[in-house]
Amino acid sequence: MRRLFVLTTLILLAAVFAGCTQTQKPETQPEKTVIVGSGATFPQPQLEKWIDVYTKRNPKVQIEYTGKGSGGGQNDFKQGLVDFACSDPPLSESLWNELKKRGQPLQFPIIVGAVVVVYHIPGVENLKLDGETLAKIFMGEIEYWDNFAIKQLNPEANLPHERILVVHRSDSSGTTKIFTTYLSLVSDEWAEKVGAGKTVDWPVDKLGRGVGGKGNQGVATAVKQNPYSIGYVELSYALKENFPMVALKNKAGNFVTANEETIKFAVSMVSLSIPSPREGCKEDLKALLNAAGEKSYPIVAFSHMVIWEKYENEAKEKAIKDFVKWILTEGQKSENIVQGYVGLPEDVTSKLLAEI
Amino acid sequence: MNVTSEKVDTFKLSLLSFCVLVFGIFALMIVIYLTASVPIFQKEDIQIYTTNVWKAVEDNPDEEFYGVLAAIYGSVYTSVLAVLVALPLSIGFAVFVIDYAPQKIREPLIVATDIMAGLPTIIYGVWGAFVLVPVLRDYVMRPLYEHFSFIPLFSFEPAGGYSFLAAGVLLGIMVTPFASSIIREAYRMVPFTYREAAFSLGATRYEATKILLGYIKPAIVAGILLAFGRAVGETVAVSLVVGNAFNIHPSLFAPGYTISSLIANQFGNAFIYGYMVSALFAAGFFLFVIGLAVNVGGLIILRRYAHAQRG
Repeated sequence: MRRLFVLTTLILLAAVFAGCTQTQKPETQPEKTVIVGSGATFPQPQLEKWIDVYTKRNPKVQIEYTGKGSGGGQNDFKQGLVDFACSDPPLSESLWNELKKRGQPLQFPIIVGAVVVVYHIPGVENLKLDGETLAKIFMGEIEYWDNFAIKQLNPEANLPHERILVVHRSDSSGTTKIFTTYLSLVSDEWAEKVGAGKTVDWPVDKLGRGVGGKGNQGVATAVKQNPYSIGYVELSYALKENFPMVALKNKAGNFVTANEETIKFAVSMVSLSIPSPREGCKEDLKALLNAAGEKSYPIVAFSHMVIWEKYENEAKEKAIKDFVKWILTEGQKSENIVQGYVGLPEDVTSKLLAEI
Repeated sequence: MNVTSEKVDTFKLSLLSFCVLVFGIFALMIVIYLTASVPIFQKEDIQIYTTNVWKAVEDNPDEEFYGVLAAIYGSVYTSVLAVLVALPLSIGFAVFVIDYAPQKIREPLIVATDIMAGLPTIIYGVWGAFVLVPVLRDYVMRPLYEHFSFIPLFSFEPAGGYSFLAAGVLLGIMVTPFASSIIREAYRMVPFTYREAAFSLGATRYEATKILLGYIKPAIVAGILLAFGRAVGETVAVSLVVGNAFNIHPSLFAPGYTISSLIANQFGNAFIYGYMVSALFAAGFFLFVIGLAVNVGGLIILRRYAHAQRG
């Protein structure tokens, strides 16, 4: 009996090992360059499309990307686990200096994102808000939808006397950082009481009128399910869920909603302030927010990619640089841009290409 | 003789290694949690547990400040609610299955609760967020608030339905299968003669059940402990219905936070900050403390019960 058992185990083990050697062989045969990246989830659908189109044309390159959040990608890149990382906010100066000890990192924007304010009030469309009022709503100072400040901005809307439910992110995120940085710019009170960050201490939570949702999806779901709520998400999520979006008052005093035109308008207004990829950490999030210009949408931010200038493996270096160049040229063409995303204006890409 | 005693010894020794392994892992976990939370204790002292702040500042660790009181409050609040919901459900269910359910449907009922126990919690969470929360908001919270808002428990105007109540009810439903299986098995074991004795004394079915339940008090306490433990540690499902808001409010209808959902929400990017990881470990350590307190409480109740039995 025992002998039989040993025999079967041996046979099984043999089969397993045989399987191993068999599967290993074909992988090593064609000389493929494998590029691994991780980071922000926001550009992931776009990046996947780029990878798909690019690798079809360059079958010798294999690119893998894992979306785990900007912070996760930064950490992976620092630890040397990945060849490139994507991060919505630019890298911090301390991380940049740490990376520089090992080599020259390059950071550059690959796509433009916008944070939009979405709301759910039955019967109310085309809601308009200015920065000050928006900050007051998210601080909990404005409690009801028919508050004077909101009414004044929307004289024709039929605003109900209902409590506002504020929905924010419960996890730390670049979206929150962009949104709170914008609020800090347009409201001194917000800057003083709350400030900006990937996660902040929401005063409205302590009033019991704020709730957190995990991820863009969590916020979108909470807003969708709760009448009289307001929240903020990435543009692509708002489009996907068909949410009404708040028209925000920009620096020029016009009320604008986010779309390709208004976002590109904002980016080209500030293209001069984009730093060289070699000094990525010098990028100022604030420069893009509340941009001047008639049609500029005020909450716009870049999503970035970080690579090394030099890699130990020459083939890899060549492949990565080629992929990056492709993203900044072909990749920005409208047929390669996923719906809900906005490509970089040409003056920005030509400036970046010259420097990489 | 000699041979057998030697044999027993090796067997004993081999078992001892398992015991050491289990206990060692547990002890190591506590040590890790304690050492990982040292930085936050050095920075804030006990204030990590006594304040309600969540101030994360990138690149400036000195300005960070974390206080998880709201999460502790929410964890205890929702778990107590869960036990209050689960207890009548599981006792009622156990009695029905053992005493009254026809043979044909008894097994299917038991299998159904076993399946309930084994379901991934995200399934409960999604159901909770899409069905339970709106139903509770429209048919329970709103009416109670409109008519009884002078009672502190009902004093909060339900904003979205995400609340301690929603989390408590969802958790109660989730932990019922666990509590119920313990109580059910104990109730099944009560000797038939006790049942006969109760009926022969002229007890009604209700009175007899009451007497018999008195015999399985330890099992009921164990059921409560298990239910509480599961409820306090539940993460994903709670996070979807509790609101994730740093809020301390006596009302059932207010949104809040729990320790587990706080850790799940914040851990992903916590290492960007100087002290957040440590703060989350400290919060996790408090779950150990809650677990310990609840278990010690249970032991005391059981000991009293045993004492009363003997005396």
